[in-house]
Amino acid sequence: MQEEFTPKIVGFLCNWCSYAGADLAGTSKLKMPPSLAVIRVMCSSRVDPVLVLRAFLRGADGVLIAGCHPGDCHYEKGNYYARRRFALLKSVVETLELDSERLQLSWVSASEGPRFQQVVTEFTEKLKKLGPNPMQEKTSM
Amino acid sequence: MPMEEKIGVYVCECGPNIADKVDIDKVVETISSLPSVNVVERHKLLCSEDGKKFLKESIQKNELTRIVVAACSPKQHEVTFMRVCESAGINPYFFQLTNIREQCAWIIDDKEEATERTIRYIRAAIRRVLYHKALEKKEIEANPDVLVIGGGIAGISASLLLASGDRKVYLIEKTKVVGGKVREFAKLFPRMEPCSDIISQKIKEVENNKNIEVHTDSEVSEVLGFLGNFVAKVNTSENKAIEQPSEQAIKEKGLENKELELKVGAVVVATGFSMLDLQQLPQYGYGKYDNVYTALEFEKMNAEGKILLKNGKPPKQIAIIHCVGREKVGYCSRVCCMYSLKFANYIKSKLPSVKVSHLYTDLTVPGKTYQKFYEQTKEKDVEFIRAQDIEITESNGQLTINHKGTPNLKPLNTDMVILSSAITPSSDAHKLAEMLNISQGDNGFFVEEHPKLAPVSTSMEGIFITGCAQGPKNISDSIVQAQAVAGKILSSIIPGKKLELEVKTSEISEALCIGCQTCLEVCSYGAIYFDEIKRVCIVNEVLCRGCGNCVGSCPSGAASSKHFTTTQLHQEVVEALR
Repeated sequence: MQEEFTPKIVGFLCNWCSYAGADLAGTSKLKMPPSLAVIRVMCSSRVDPVLVLRAFLRGADGVLIAGCHPGDCHYEKGNYYARRRFALLKSVVETLELDSERLQLSWVSASEGPRFQQVVTEFTEKLKKLGPNPMQEKTSM
Repeated sequence: MPMEEKIGVYVCECGPNIADKVDIDKVVETISSLPSVNVVERHKLLCSEDGKKFLKESIQKNELTRIVVAACSPKQHEVTFMRVCESAGINPYFFQLTNIREQCAWIIDDKEEATERTIRYIRAAIRRVLYHKALEKKEIEANPDVLVIGGGIAGISASLLLASGDRKVYLIEKTKVVGGKVREFAKLFPRMEPCSDIISQKIKEVENNKNIEVHTDSEVSEVLGFLGNFVAKVNTSENKAIEQPSEQAIKEKGLENKELELKVGAVVVATGFSMLDLQQLPQYGYGKYDNVYTALEFEKMNAEGKILLKNGKPPKQIAIIHCVGREKVGYCSRVCCMYSLKFANYIKSKLPSVKVSHLYTDLTVPGKTYQKFYEQTKEKDVEFIRAQDIEITESNGQLTINHKGTPNLKPLNTDMVILSSAITPSSDAHKLAEMLNISQGDNGFFVEEHPKLAPVSTSMEGIFITGCAQGPKNISDSIVQAQAVAGKILSSIIPGKKLELEVKTSEISEALCIGCQTCLEVCSYGAIYFDEIKRVCIVNEVLCRGCGNCVGSCPSGAASSKHFTTTQLHQEVVEALR
């Protein structure tokens, strides 16, 4: 029997909202699939497109960027910039012949433990359907 | 790869929290087998006194140069372990905490999977820490003096509290006198005590306080600098007659304009409010019909003595209209209902037989004393009509208010109308916003740094907002906010103590910068400036908060965030994916 595919997700979480939301999910003992590798950044606006593309080139099946809800950014409007860059990045991802659904942006506040669990679980399910990152084979020579 | 480093990895059991859910033996065994790692240890509770001692001794004994701790969230104990590193003699930034409790032990059900994930996280942390750079604490001298712009009730209150904390305060007032709009109020709601009791006393206190230097007829024309080190220019045409003993000197001084230069550590913006221009709402007939007054005009009329119509006769009926312009500005001004009730009390105490009608859209009487004030006012035979689509007409000196409302659907005839119109930002708010580099919201009021976490700070560190400059509010709330500002300043700038700056700021490589200034556009803190001669952007580390937005936007890779460099994050990602 074939082993079930567990996607590898790189999750860039902003320090103030989403990382704290992930912490709350943890302290609330909310169970999640073992798919996510959390990378802490100070703000979602710090995630430069190069980091995301490199993650895909290195075989990430999905990349999650999570930040504060619009209006709640610790740095005023970093999340709005993150959103704009995300929109552009989606089309770049497509040119790599990757389904742009593999890149996700979510707003998770520090008090939204259950939402964090839901975001990770649903994204994992979506990636399971999409299957492994096809770039992986192309680049692993 | 960086130079050879001696790496120590410490796995915390966190009592049973991690130990029960992760196979720590296996983690230690796997990590020990990595060629780059020198020491791998486990401990029952690393954050305990015993744990910290153990960590410190192990770092020193093994002469380690890089430390990874696998334990809880950095939000909990990152600082704790950084301090241990420091006490063990290594730079605290040669350390990485990886969160295997919240991100593995507590959320992954299967122990084997949790163990595998833990190993992955530790490997990523090891890889990352190899690329860490030593960072040093930075401190600057700070000037404890304060510039307060606006001499209304908020500015006065902030100044007094700051002065009582032994700070030198420069209070700059645009008009001839301090006291602001409150000076014109006869009484205060809800207790109806004479306003002069409060405001005259405060003005006297300000004038007699040797720590407060008041400049009336003065305006701030420029503010440069940053928290702890602002330089402000003030244009003043005040006649400081009291300070000039000889008459000759007074004459010479006269109303001559001069410029003051003030050095301060913090700036308080307490510039108050304006009222909505009623020409924009012609349906109320303001400026067209006699006997249609603005709230401030009525306040003044009452304070000066008699409530009379333009023809000198006393009115028989007065209508007070609330919520004037609320729809236009898009917010409730918070105080109009209450001062409108106060007006009813003015009228009833001077002219008990006058019929008073309130026409309102929504009645806003919140808080622990306001409802009672409303009920007491209602008992004085004052009528309340919920009305919409108000239009005022006049024929033969008789005003008629047409409206759709309950309970009275008939047009209301009245002799006098008072318009309680929306409070708007002060007319020069935009000028000040530009000068100070602080933001205005959609409605034009200054925006706080965070509505809950930092309600009186702004995006510019060291610049604070208070009173109606921040949004419509009553006198009590203005004073509360002014005292909050004073508290923030007194606790953040302490005489003789240096200011510790954010270490993890951005930096821009002069060699790589192409001078496109994209970073300058996206920075919320005005922390980046363009060097015209070198044609490159430069980060002012005093202002930078380290969000990294400039890094995310830099097309040439010149901008980087210290401790969150692209290399560090990339290495972490690569190892996490392996």
